[in-house]
Amino acid sequence: MYSFTYTRAKSLAEARAMLAKDHDAKLLSGGMTLIPTLKQRLASPSQLIDISRLAELRGIADKGDCVEIGAATRHVETSRSDVVRQKIPALAHLASQIGDPQVRNRGTMGGSVANNDPVADYPAAVLGLGAIVKTSQREIAADNFFKGMFETALEAGEIVTGFSYPVPKRAAYAKFPHPVSGYAMAGSFVADTGAGIRVAIVGAGPGVFRWKEAEAALSKSFSVAALKGLAMPSAGLSNDLHATAEYRANLVEVMTRRAVASLTGEK
Amino acid sequence: MSTEFKGRREDRRLITGTGRYTADWNQPGQLYAVFLRSDRAHARILSVDTAAASAIPGVHAIMTGDDADIAAMKNPPSNVTWEGRGGMKMNQPDRPVMARGKVLYVGEPVAMVVAQSAHAAQDAAEAIVVDYEDLPAVIDLEEALAPGAPQLHQSVPGNLPFDYEWGDPARVAEIFSAAAHVVRLKHVDQRLVGNPMEPKAFLAVYDATRDIYDVWSSTQGMTMMKGSLAATTGVPPQKIRVHAQDVGGGFGIRSNAYPEYCAVFAAARRTGKPVKWVATRAECFVSDWHGRDFVMSGEMAFDRDGRILAARYDWIAAMGAYCSPTGANVHTLTPATTSVGTYAMAAVHGRIRCALTNTTSVTAYRGAGRPDIAYMVERLVDEAALQLGIDPIELRRKNFISKDAFPYTTPNKVTYDSGDYAGMLEDVIKVSDWSGFEKRRSESKARGKLRGIGLAVFVEPSGGGRGTDPNQAMIKFGSSGNIELFSIAGPTGQGHETVFPEIVGRELGIDPSLITARIGDPDGPPLTGLGTIGSRSMIHHGSASMLAAREVIRKGMDHAARELEVAAQDVEYAQGNYRIKGTDRAISLVNLAKKLGGVAGVHPLDAGAGMAHTSAFPGGAHVAEVEIDPATGVTEVLKYYAVDDCGNIVNHTLLEGQMHGGIMQGAGQVFGEHGMYDKESGQLLTGSFMDYFMPKAGLLRDIYLGDHPMPSPTNPLGVKGAGEAGTTGALPTLMNAILNALRPAGVTHLDMPATPSRVWEALRKAR
Amino acid sequence: MAKIEMTVNGKKVSHEVEDRTLLANFLRDQLGLTGTHIGCDTSQCGCCTVHVDGLAVKSCSMVVGQANGAEVLTIEGLANGETLHPVQQAFSECHALQCGFCTPGMIMAVSGLLKDNPAPNDEEIIQGLEGNLCRCTGYINIIKAVKHAAVAMK
Repeated sequence: MYSFTYTRAKSLAEARAMLAKDHDAKLLSGGMTLIPTLKQRLASPSQLIDISRLAELRGIADKGDCVEIGAATRHVETSRSDVVRQKIPALAHLASQIGDPQVRNRGTMGGSVANNDPVADYPAAVLGLGAIVKTSQREIAADNFFKGMFETALEAGEIVTGFSYPVPKRAAYAKFPHPVSGYAMAGSFVADTGAGIRVAIVGAGPGVFRWKEAEAALSKSFSVAALKGLAMPSAGLSNDLHATAEYRANLVEVMTRRAVASLTGEK
Repeated sequence: MSTEFKGRREDRRLITGTGRYTADWNQPGQLYAVFLRSDRAHARILSVDTAAASAIPGVHAIMTGDDADIAAMKNPPSNVTWEGRGGMKMNQPDRPVMARGKVLYVGEPVAMVVAQSAHAAQDAAEAIVVDYEDLPAVIDLEEALAPGAPQLHQSVPGNLPFDYEWGDPARVAEIFSAAAHVVRLKHVDQRLVGNPMEPKAFLAVYDATRDIYDVWSSTQGMTMMKGSLAATTGVPPQKIRVHAQDVGGGFGIRSNAYPEYCAVFAAARRTGKPVKWVATRAECFVSDWHGRDFVMSGEMAFDRDGRILAARYDWIAAMGAYCSPTGANVHTLTPATTSVGTYAMAAVHGRIRCALTNTTSVTAYRGAGRPDIAYMVERLVDEAALQLGIDPIELRRKNFISKDAFPYTTPNKVTYDSGDYAGMLEDVIKVSDWSGFEKRRSESKARGKLRGIGLAVFVEPSGGGRGTDPNQAMIKFGSSGNIELFSIAGPTGQGHETVFPEIVGRELGIDPSLITARIGDPDGPPLTGLGTIGSRSMIHHGSASMLAAREVIRKGMDHAARELEVAAQDVEYAQGNYRIKGTDRAISLVNLAKKLGGVAGVHPLDAGAGMAHTSAFPGGAHVAEVEIDPATGVTEVLKYYAVDDCGNIVNHTLLEGQMHGGIMQGAGQVFGEHGMYDKESGQLLTGSFMDYFMPKAGLLRDIYLGDHPMPSPTNPLGVKGAGEAGTTGALPTLMNAILNALRPAGVTHLDMPATPSRVWEALRKAR
Repeated sequence: MAKIEMTVNGKKVSHEVEDRTLLANFLRDQLGLTGTHIGCDTSQCGCCTVHVDGLAVKSCSMVVGQANGAEVLTIEGLANGETLHPVQQAFSECHALQCGFCTPGMIMAVSGLLKDNPAPNDEEIIQGLEGNLCRCTGYINIIKAVKHAAVAMK
């Protein structure tokens, strides 16, 4: 690691002020991505501003038709929260599938979503449920938040503070973990929301995206049968040493079917 | 031998965090070394500018390949001392400790910084500016041997340092031309990275007043480490003391001194301070010597009745950019040794060309040539069963070397010591309910899954390593009658501290807890022999421990007779006591030792023994049942059955541990491990645990282990070695099972690793 | 440089270290607690697993400042004096370790798992070991040891 200073911010306002003053500073939450990156000397921030303990960023609240979750909420907290398990079990399930136990004990929802790694799981839930991303200065709809590989709508100095997830009628997440890293090689979040069917895909492409054709098919009939013959185009999907784009396209189809099947009880 | 397992002696320190691995040792005033490595596969070094790096506070020294102390170091000799094809001698290219003039692979050390802290050393290494001129690189084995390929070393024309041939080419050609059936296969046996969990590390202290070097390193044996450090640095072995209390895994890749160790060794002398180097995992990936990596073609000739007549092989084996001392040995002679497998055939012929490529060196890795040849032979037999329409069990039964034929000399003049291949096969097909498989396959099919069953019967040479010096052990007595066993075996998890005293205790008829094992102790008596390689430590060091115990008993006889006031021929030894024959009058060994006392660390009953180098031939019959999800290509191993002949069994629990680990490492290769290079840039693409598949909990859940011991006549314990058998069996067994599952879907060929993606692609192409 | 204070294995410790120090290095180099091992650079192997405020974490993936003021438990503090923790006992009795390098992290991960789930089934054990690599044992005896420990801790 290159040299840096570490500071634990005392408030969101202080963190914002520090960021505004030092453009080479970086926010630190769980650190599950940032610290390995620093260890490989792939980044050289002047300082790390730890926001993981800020009260403003913590907590899970049941707001009736939505669930609000603070950005610094750890995966383990989301996966075990009674509120999340009752209102959006698919989100609790997704959180229980991230990384490994030690990663879930440290990693946070805000960190994962702000980083927008194309193979991370949370973006599937945020986009699949049509959640609102709350930041230090505004609220951003999920459809406007993700901008492709590691890119988001966040501006310099803007801090993700939490999420508001509309409670769906039903939702499920099916993930095919990468056989080596455990990240999503393909993950499909299928949600039957008040505002229609949403299908969000992670892992397979250069960023989370909605599979509109599957949404249309499922809107007509929410069943595995409705997906029959629906092919995910492989063009634009990741093609690397671990898997071809065709294989990933297949996994998107299979995971989407499995997510639907887990809700309809079909085979 | 041991009935109830209550844990090993090693365990207490290892489960409480008080074990000491190399990185856990520190010396006052120590400096830290960091290496700058080549980031390209093949390039001329135009200049190395260390000015900025030297100016970084805390930097004590920067050394490169051209530094006189480094440049004076010599390449250790190859283990290959025999002739190859047409009398060819091993043509080992010179390997500098750090690059000189050229870099030949990504990861080759170019410079070493020694500084006050690891951070400072790393900062300085990054400040070194190397100017390169890129040269064309070659990664692919077949391309490396083709005319016009980029040449790695002027001294090695055609990138071919060794061309090995064995068997009888004329006879085999004759048999093939007249054979009723010939079965042919070509497989890729991919490169692996050994990845012991402890990253490699080295700590060197030079005491100028005594001209002695104390070194701490993760090694598979102190004599091997000492020998290769001495061969490289020119410092005589008696001036090097190797410390290795706990070693975090070896698997074949830790027999020799790595170039970095030699550089750190020189830095300790140069700076006059202890120098410590701990590799990152990323460094281990590019600089630990790799394993496997063959392109293998094989063919088998059969008569009309399915009898095997002969086998023929044509392989290319990777060496890397330089030859490791062991690479060319275990990639040629070892697979050749058991190239007829477990089958009686008239003749065999093979050729293995060793190829230099712009990659990390290759050496022994668990199995080291054994899994490779077993894979080829057992794939050929399965393929033949299919093509000839003969049941694979029947075909094997028809061709086995019979139990009565041992010692059996193969057509390539190798003598198998003992075995019962047909018996092991009968055992394994019974426990695995082979005959009920078709029913289980239909059940899987009804659930949309492809079920497969696979079998392999194999034999492998154990006892690895040659050498003229016997493998010695010594038993020494303290003045209180306490017993210490000294051994130079280099344990890396095998449990020698527990099992060797069990052997000595059994031989002496006393409680093993009275015996302390001091293994690899630099303050122990000087002992000869090799360490823990090639499934050899029980055969050699275990037997030497036993022979030393016998020698103690023999030496005590006269002393006991004197104590008992009778003639020696009237005394017998049993259960820890010297007794006057036919009477109750006796003296225990422990009491005798106490009475005899001993002065200045020398005791009259101290005794050593040596076990000459030998080979045994463990074998096994393994069956695996797998189920493949055609939608995702995921293979689940439902059950793995291993019936093995490891000779006599000394400690069953430790044997089970070796089998579990060996089978799992085989499964690692079958399901995902792959040291994959980019063919253009020569970068190792799978250079971290994010990209290199490592077996995790659950890859194999259910392993049945069955014993079919056929004691070996080659050593007094009658053991055969067990370290590699699991891996050797797992490759052909699992791949035969996977192909058996895929065949009904039209897949006829698949290379390892059978990752979900590759299995799915194979199914898609067969559709 | 920063002053770091924390409670490690029940003892208060305080050291001045560079901010870029990893918790794993702080434990090993400053406190001499070398039972916490470093087996990789990418947070995959789990050899460095310790408990921070009661949760199993990879100490190579935390800068020491993140653990400032925390309660840290390492492998050296797991046993109760001479009495081994049931997970340590089970690892030895079930031959769940060979070279032992992954073992401290493995034991810390397992003791974390059993705190959350005192009677895990095979599937839950396998998921609980997702963050830890072992090259020697094939995990067969590790899974067995987890079950033994779970019974012993009832």
